[in-house]
Amino acid sequence: MSTTSVMTSPTASPAGEAEAPGPTPEVRFGPAANAGTFRRYVRETSLLVGRSMRMIPRVPERLFDVTLQPIMFTLLFLYVFGSAIDVPGMRYQDYLLPGLLGQGLAFGVMGAGAATASDFSSGVVDRFRSLPVTRLAVISAQVIGQMLEQILGMAIVLGLGLALGWRPDLDVAGFFTLAGLILLGLFAFTWFGVLLGMTFRSPEAVQGVGFATLFPLAFLAGTFVPIEGMAAVPRAIAQWDPISALVAAVRQVCQGTDSSGSWQLEHPVPAMIGWCVLLIVVCVPLALRRFDRTPAAN
Amino acid sequence: MTDAPTAVTVRGLTKRYGDVLAVDQLDLDVPAHTVVALLGPNGAGKTTTVRMLATLEVPTAGTLDVCGFDPVTQGHEVRSRMSLTGQFAALEDNLTAHENLVLMARLRGFGRARARSIVADLVERFDIAEFRDKLIKSLSGGQRRRVDLAAGLVVQPELLVLDEPTTGLDPRSRHVVWSTIRELVAEGVTLVLTTQYLEEADVLADQIVLIDHGRAVASGTPTELKSRIGEQRVDVVAVDSAALDRLVVALDGSFEMSVARESRTISFPAPDDTSDLARIAAAVRAAGVPIDEVALRRPTLDDAFLALTGQPLGDDDPSDDDPDLAHAHAHATAGAPA
Repeated sequence: MSTTSVMTSPTASPAGEAEAPGPTPEVRFGPAANAGTFRRYVRETSLLVGRSMRMIPRVPERLFDVTLQPIMFTLLFLYVFGSAIDVPGMRYQDYLLPGLLGQGLAFGVMGAGAATASDFSSGVVDRFRSLPVTRLAVISAQVIGQMLEQILGMAIVLGLGLALGWRPDLDVAGFFTLAGLILLGLFAFTWFGVLLGMTFRSPEAVQGVGFATLFPLAFLAGTFVPIEGMAAVPRAIAQWDPISALVAAVRQVCQGTDSSGSWQLEHPVPAMIGWCVLLIVVCVPLALRRFDRTPAAN
Repeated sequence: MTDAPTAVTVRGLTKRYGDVLAVDQLDLDVPAHTVVALLGPNGAGKTTTVRMLATLEVPTAGTLDVCGFDPVTQGHEVRSRMSLTGQFAALEDNLTAHENLVLMARLRGFGRARARSIVADLVERFDIAEFRDKLIKSLSGGQRRRVDLAAGLVVQPELLVLDEPTTGLDPRSRHVVWSTIRELVAEGVTLVLTTQYLEEADVLADQIVLIDHGRAVASGTPTELKSRIGEQRVDVVAVDSAALDRLVVALDGSFEMSVARESRTISFPAPDDTSDLARIAAAVRAAGVPIDEVALRRPTLDDAFLALTGQPLGDDDPSDDDPDLAHAHAHATAGAPA
């Protein structure tokens, strides 16, 4: 406790006054008041992304959902349930890992949503919004920061999978297709998460809603067991489950595996692109609108 | 623009959330280089008002002028000229005080080196050095407020807005924050301050606007308001009514006083606090009458509301209010143009 300390004398010069007797507008308000719009946007966005990145090592638990959770799934299914699951024509590693990458995209919603909700309810975002910072930069930084965290998580799963015997069948074109699909998916689901975070405003609520909706959809999506073997009702749901499209698309690109049962499973890559574009078209305008008129944090 | 005579002009400001009228037809004038306190209880609409000034909320109705610009249509201009520090404009818990301040300076557009030198000045000025590299979440409330104030001053804003700068602080930290704010005021900053503490408004402000239910219910200089609220007083509580009578007889003539029989209390005006308290305590002891309590009482926010509006604080259902009162728009400017 240091509240006893006495304030420094009033002669201490306030910011900027030292070198300018009559402060120029730049010194008074900061250069942000008159820089070019696009350069300012890039600069502000990277400053804010830097802020998110700096916090990762300090709050590692924030990354649990993108790191520990997929690691758990990988180990659990590969070594516990996997022995009882028979996927015709391929090794279980090659079936499971692409599936985990695909469903991981959807689970990004939770991380992005919880982080956004916590930033909004703590007032940090309001502080940024009260600065002469382009508002698009604040929300872009939120999205980019979350995407980078998810990419870190994906890299961990990828590395673990390769170490445990996953052998993706990728040529150069396939690699770039995969990277493109993953970035698109991350972009779309992160925006969805940011929108949810702004809507629910409490990390716990986002986690709750996320678990309640994503978990069943993820287990139905053919990530862990083939959809063909499911009972009629879950099979029908799974055939049109958006996560099924992600899982099937990543699996098709990585292993060349075809799937069937519905249009989206027969054409998983276009279907995945379609779902992502739909999410982007719906969520981005809503999130931007909400961001500009967001009500009090209390 | 930098020397506009009026930093903030607000007319008919209204904010409605569904059925709730958070701010209702508020008028406000803040002359440049003065301090205006918005004083009111929790939920009075103070925070909503400053959020509208700071471009964080869009008003339902009314006009706003902040440093010569309209927050609704010229948000960037307004944000460039003002700084907001408050309950709702938080620091990043997982960054250090220094990292937070540098980030604020960088976001204002300063280069890395310039930002660091600005922050070095602030660290010295606000006495932050000893917890400069601690995470915000590990700081005490008072330390945090100092970082918060510093964060608002990485530039020299035309208008500084502090939302409840000392709420939740212990008295000692409160005085430290007050002395910091007074230094800023001495340098000529224009300040809008919200507070729930009458004493805080009295200590810091040139003009006080009392707000309740989103309306300005009274305004004036601290001296004007205090003369209407009543000064501080010393209350003496006798053990029983017989003792009260003896005390009244003993002190009658030598002191100005008022007697409340049901609470066995005699109240003495005590503008000189400690010396009046000592004088009265000595007289009571000389009278040799058994008493329960002798205490110095300062008027509270409740006293102020009762004295200035005739309504106790937090009396709900504003629709029942006297319509004259409801439209008694307070102008914070002394002699504001009609």
